Amino acid sequence: MEDQGKRILIVEDDQFLREFYQELLQEEGYFIDVAPDGDIALNKAQNNNYDLILLDIMLPKKDGLQVLRDLKLKPAKTPNVTIVILTNLGQDTVIKECFNQGAQGYLIKSALNPDQVLAEVKTYLQKSAG
Amino acid sequence: MFNPFNKQPNYSKIPQKKESLESLWRLTQILMENLEFEDVVYKVVNSLLSELGYLKSGYRIVVLSLIDEKMGGLRRIALSQTEEAARAKSVSTIPFEKIVIPFSATSNLGIKVLMTGKPDVTTYWPDILSPPLTPQAALTNQKNSGIQTSMVYPVSARGKPIGTLIFSMVKKYQDVTEEEKDLLSGFTDLIGLAVENSMLFTKLKNTTDQLQMANQQLKMLDKLKDDFVSIASHELRTPMAAIRSYVWMALHRSDIPLSQKLERYLYRTLVSTERLINLVSDMLNVSRIESGRIEINPKAFDIVALVKDVFEEVKAKAAEKSLQLLVLENHYPHVFGDADKIHQVLLNLIGNSMKFAYPGGTIAVSFFSDGKMMDISIKDEGCGIAKEDLSKLFHKFSRLDNSYTALSTSGGTGLGLYISKSLIELMHGKIWVQSEGVDKGSIFTFSLPVATKEVIDHANNFRIEAEGDAKPLESAPI
Repeated sequence: MEDQGKRILIVEDDQFLREFYQELLQEEGYFIDVAPDGDIALNKAQNNNYDLILLDIMLPKKDGLQVLRDLKLKPAKTPNVTIVILTNLGQDTVIKECFNQGAQGYLIKSALNPDQVLAEVKTYLQKSAG
Repeated sequence: MFNPFNKQPNYSKIPQKKESLESLWRLTQILMENLEFEDVVYKVVNSLLSELGYLKSGYRIVVLSLIDEKMGGLRRIALSQTEEAARAKSVSTIPFEKIVIPFSATSNLGIKVLMTGKPDVTTYWPDILSPPLTPQAALTNQKNSGIQTSMVYPVSARGKPIGTLIFSMVKKYQDVTEEEKDLLSGFTDLIGLAVENSMLFTKLKNTTDQLQMANQQLKMLDKLKDDFVSIASHELRTPMAAIRSYVWMALHRSDIPLSQKLERYLYRTLVSTERLINLVSDMLNVSRIESGRIEINPKAFDIVALVKDVFEEVKAKAAEKSLQLLVLENHYPHVFGDADKIHQVLLNLIGNSMKFAYPGGTIAVSFFSDGKMMDISIKDEGCGIAKEDLSKLFHKFSRLDNSYTALSTSGGTGLGLYISKSLIELMHGKIWVQSEGVDKGSIFTFSLPVATKEVIDHANNFRIEAEGDAKPLESAPI
């Protein structure tokens, strides 16, 4: 699998969900890094190379939108890293704002089963590679 | 006895009558300048003395009292701002604004005048102040003020007594002319009307203020409720997503084989969790629709293409049940509506059909147009609906005995059809259902306006702006 060994940063404040996505994606052979809040997420994105960042919106310390804005001022270490929003906020205004701020995709946690999340992650990784 | 000579002095009185009319006119003007109760009563007790010049005629204090049903008496309302009044006030054992003459005090001139409707006069203040003041105290007030005579007039409005006016003066009653008395009668009538009007005005204004305040509070509460619903639903969904994810994992990724029992338990946990998640989304949608936070942004579009898109979305799910999806297409005109909202309705109706269709069945979507409206029908060969349940289907949380909305097994929320109906009606369409009965399948049909030139020319009639922040619908689960 050409995807194996790709690095993914999961930004999720809910511990159970964070560990769930970590386990799910690790079993697929990805290298996973995690961040429980916006500050840590920003710090990791700016100092490590990732192929994909899964970013929640409602986060402690700094919300997902703010992380996107801050990444515009001081970009991630991997230029143009693919950032996909993974959240439960299903509002058009928020979605639009995320795309305006540089997100490339949008996944609603409660609307997708884990297989679908995996499929989406694979698609985004292929897009970013191509 | 008619004596023509008696008429003679009347001629000389005409200028006086003219003055009287002028005084009444001026009082009218003064009273009309003010609308608020507080201002009007202030003017009533002061303008007579100052602006109308009654000070020169020996008048010193005017007191307005009004019936106060709650206090059970005649309550002092306003008092002239003169030296005499201030002196009476300064020694009074009861503060002016606390003086209430009980209705039972029939010997009090105020109450008497109220009851008879006729003016009266006294040179002895206990007549107008006792009770509640002791005669002793009333006399002290009078002595200190220097008042000799007090005339009490009934004040009424629209034929109903509302209070009294007391005109107190430093001259003797004998020195009060008939013209003065007539004029005072005229004044009191005028004052009665002005006071009542101002009471009504102030009451109305207070009511309006209260309504405005209540309205503002309601708006604030509404926003708080909205914020609460948004936050609560997000907070609810996070743990639900975790439950759903882990149960899914246990079912699909377990490294030990599951017993049949355990698998059934886990499967039911998963279905129930999904139902809970859908319920939160649907309740959010209902709350948005009912509070008018949905906007309808209509355009002309190809409904057949949209149906095909939806079929594409549900293809995988349909394959699980070996369902065949059919679009009976032809050349149809475009419809005029909000494509996103219609997408939601189609997902709901087709999703329902798939849920209740028997494996291997067919779901067919057909179209019919009379040139003005387009009917879109979704037909399934599923478990159908009992006749008596047809009308209940589109109600909120409609629970039917029949299996069509057997909520727990279908994973339905009981809100989907209600949401679809609300959305279609917002877009000037209708929605209805036909079924020959249980096990006979069902046909759900909704109509939408055809995008004729006339409709497009009046596009604004179809547009709906959201009240406050527009919120999109939560995505429908498939």
